[in-house]
Amino acid sequence: MTQYVERFNALDRVLHWIVAITFFLLLLSGIGLFAHTFFGYFRLFGGPHQGIMVHKWAGIVFFISSVLLFLRHLGETWRFDADDRRWIVKAGGYLSRKKQGIPQGKFNAGQKLFGLFAGLATIVMGLTGYIIWDPTAFTRELTQFSLMLHGAFFTLFMIAMVVHVYLATMGNPGTLEGMLWGHVTKAWAKKHASKWYAKMVKS
Amino acid sequence: MKRKAFLIDTTRCTACRSCQVACKQWNKLTAEDTVNRGSYENPPDLTPQLYNQIHFIEQDRGKDMRWLFINRRCQHCADAGCVKVCPSAGALYHTPDGLVGFNQDKCIECHYCVNGCPFDVPRYDSKQKITKCHACIDRVQNGLLPACVKACPTQTLQFGDRETLIAGAKAAGKKLYGENDLGGLGVLYVLDDEPDTYRLPKNPAIPASIFFWKDVVKPLGILGFWGAVGVAALHYVTVGPKRIEDEPEDKSPKGGE
Repeated sequence: MTQYVERFNALDRVLHWIVAITFFLLLLSGIGLFAHTFFGYFRLFGGPHQGIMVHKWAGIVFFISSVLLFLRHLGETWRFDADDRRWIVKAGGYLSRKKQGIPQGKFNAGQKLFGLFAGLATIVMGLTGYIIWDPTAFTRELTQFSLMLHGAFFTLFMIAMVVHVYLATMGNPGTLEGMLWGHVTKAWAKKHASKWYAKMVKS
Repeated sequence: MKRKAFLIDTTRCTACRSCQVACKQWNKLTAEDTVNRGSYENPPDLTPQLYNQIHFIEQDRGKDMRWLFINRRCQHCADAGCVKVCPSAGALYHTPDGLVGFNQDKCIECHYCVNGCPFDVPRYDSKQKITKCHACIDRVQNGLLPACVKACPTQTLQFGDRETLIAGAKAAGKKLYGENDLGGLGVLYVLDDEPDTYRLPKNPAIPASIFFWKDVVKPLGILGFWGAVGVAALHYVTVGPKRIEDEPEDKSPKGGE
């Protein structure tokens, strides 16, 4: 008998990695516009004009794929039960080595919050990005406000991404495999998502 | 180096527009087709080919007519919104004299300066590069007056050491606009009425959104990013990862193993 369970199917995985690659393309091609401190990053793309062009195309791909990814997982992420609330109160047991063992569904409360935030941030980035696509197309006040919001949500997204990447790799060994080839070990599933594991076993 | 500045005494202006013409001549800016709008004001606004403009305020007062003129241009702010938002270092910059110059070779066509200026001054030319009054830096560096000041026959436009100009105007009992705004404007006005009459902002300031972006979001964002990286690293070496091997052997509710 196999010791693995399927966590993400091929579509989930491909979508996730399109979102991930375009996210980092957007980060590297946009940070030169965020502040002149980071202007040198445009060199990665051959110059500011090429960088801005990459930013616009990557933005379209990111927006569509990130919204799709958000909608695919929304069924799981939008509901919070009593276990989730306990998880949030105890910060997921990340503050000590003591085992907390709060039963969680397919996504734990932290992952749900990240999923919802990523969806919201994608929509804000998409809307403000549309407004500043041509900085002379809308009124000055709206463009200024959109530039500010685009920058503010960029930094929030970036901070959330540091946490996401850490917890999905070094912080929780065995997690990344689920997004690479789709399977996690049964031991992983029991430890991290016991309610989801019980459901998977039943079906 | 001491700051240089313009002093524009609007009460002396006769709207001859020598300044507009001299500027075009020195900066090799072409003439533009305009239409008659029933006013001597022409063109009606700053354009990529017009770095300074005599703005007409025409007030109909029954039998009387009130005519006010003001020379509009880049205000050469010390705390300049355009310099603040420009992502390309050196595309917009302060000269040692405190004037705001631009370098089209470094302009990346993002238009942020157009939105960052509280006075709606920067314009983009047909090459999609920034243009505006640069205070004839090339002339000033060689000890000459800016072309507009040189041409002004009424001494409406004066140029020189900022402190001296302020002291002179104050000694003559004149009220100045822009002495302290935005770190002190590089264009000081003597006005004959309230600033709104001349369509100048009463308290010019960097737009709130731009301030928030550059002075709040940016430093907090950089701090937040490295803070998150630091917290993650600290977590790894203190609490450590959640390892599956730590799990006691199959004590959990019976699955289908």
